[in-house]
Amino acid sequence: MAKVLITGMGAISPLGADLPGSFARALAGDCAIGPASAGIAKWLPDVLLASAAAEPHTMLDAKHASLDRASQFALVAAGEAMNAAGITPRPADARRFGVFVGIGFGGAHTVDGLYERFQSAVQSEGKRNPTVVHPLSVPRMMANAAAAAISMTYGLNGPSNTYSVACASSAIAIGEAFHAIRDGYLDAAIVVGCEAMLTPGSLLAWNALRVMAKPHAANPARSCRPFSQDRSGFVLGEGGAAIVLESAERAHARQQPALAELCGYGRSSDAAHLTAPSSAEQVFAMQQALADAGLQPQHIQYLNAHGTATEAGDVVETESIRSVFGDALQQLAISSTKSMHGHLIGASGILEFALAVMAMNSGSLPPTATLETPDPRCDLDFIPLQARHGCQVDAIMSNSFAFGGSNAPLVARRHPA
Amino acid sequence: MLEEIIKNYLINTKAKDPALFNDPALQVSALELDSLDMVEMLFEIEDRCGFQLPDPSRYPKMAFREMLDDIEKAIREHNNGELPAFSLEAGK
Repeated sequence: MAKVLITGMGAISPLGADLPGSFARALAGDCAIGPASAGIAKWLPDVLLASAAAEPHTMLDAKHASLDRASQFALVAAGEAMNAAGITPRPADARRFGVFVGIGFGGAHTVDGLYERFQSAVQSEGKRNPTVVHPLSVPRMMANAAAAAISMTYGLNGPSNTYSVACASSAIAIGEAFHAIRDGYLDAAIVVGCEAMLTPGSLLAWNALRVMAKPHAANPARSCRPFSQDRSGFVLGEGGAAIVLESAERAHARQQPALAELCGYGRSSDAAHLTAPSSAEQVFAMQQALADAGLQPQHIQYLNAHGTATEAGDVVETESIRSVFGDALQQLAISSTKSMHGHLIGASGILEFALAVMAMNSGSLPPTATLETPDPRCDLDFIPLQARHGCQVDAIMSNSFAFGGSNAPLVARRHPA
Repeated sequence: MLEEIIKNYLINTKAKDPALFNDPALQVSALELDSLDMVEMLFEIEDRCGFQLPDPSRYPKMAFREMLDDIEKAIREHNNGELPAFSLEAGK
């Protein structure tokens, strides 16, 4: 089996227009959460959002201006990761180079735009025909639009697969790409997670689910409060993140330095409840990821938790981590960076994994920035309030647990180990 | 204005050489538009005139001028023989 290396990473997130900027702001404990636009706040006055730090279309060629916002995030993040990996379009081994994308809701902006246009035309008293819409609406909104855009932009002829597994989408995309390279089906892959659904339609739907955070009285930017006694739910975010994976043989042949080795992937399904998580299957998936990596719990020093700031999610994940790590908890630092960048749904797994890899390489661990009063049931070392520096981290785990009951932890270690 | 709208779209969005349009005998096929390009181009008109133009597969067999005349004819048929004043700026 091939060793799989991470040779490039990128992100456009609520914390920054690139990955280093996002990581720096995470270490500073800055919360990129704010009020919704006037058009949304008119109907949902308390809703909070974590909007991307930059407009993606301003970072792309004009030919990408008409893509759905989610695809634009994907291209921006992929561009940063491919540049970092030193990969230019149309590599010689293009048929051995795959595209793996995770996204929760494809084309939310396109769909909302369609309905807005339709309603506007209906109310125009015959001045506009409601049925005339842009002919590329379907290619823009299809779930695999981002994968198509990336494979065409970079001339990659390997499989271009899209995984839509709610909050675990991009973690599963990473894991499936990892196994495809490890098991010899591919030599390289660009993995991307993207999400752009801060639209009136989707926010109405999320609001109805009663899982969104309420504004924190003292500072609304600090309203996403994972593992806290005063948590009130999560904050939807948007953006994209990307990593380039290569077999060690391919990376070494072109003398490309590696950022880390991707070494473990677990997956399981709760098969129990649509939204309430199950500790037993989270534990199984985390143990599977460790076994896949050939590591023991004591080998992991930092864990980026799923940590959404819902009561059921935080308490069950704490139980799961406790079960898996046992005595090794003494040396395990954990944080939920969602406290700062919100929940990017389809992009959350890969953004948090990338931040965890940067934490490992820098020895600086981002905090759970809003953890002022811990929930007594969440009594692990969740790195409250401030980043921790000068840490020796040899391996990390990143947890992603999805609505629908899909669990997908990932493990990476330093390279060379 | 029809001609300006379509030329602007092809030059600015599809990166077609403006010099192409100096040829009075320009064929639509010479623009090398695929089927998606064609429906995107027609949407620039449909968005302004408010109805869907019929059967875009006819146009690649026409001269550019013939296509413009055909589109104008379709618009007039929908507007009691009139050609509305379209804005160069798209309404989308």
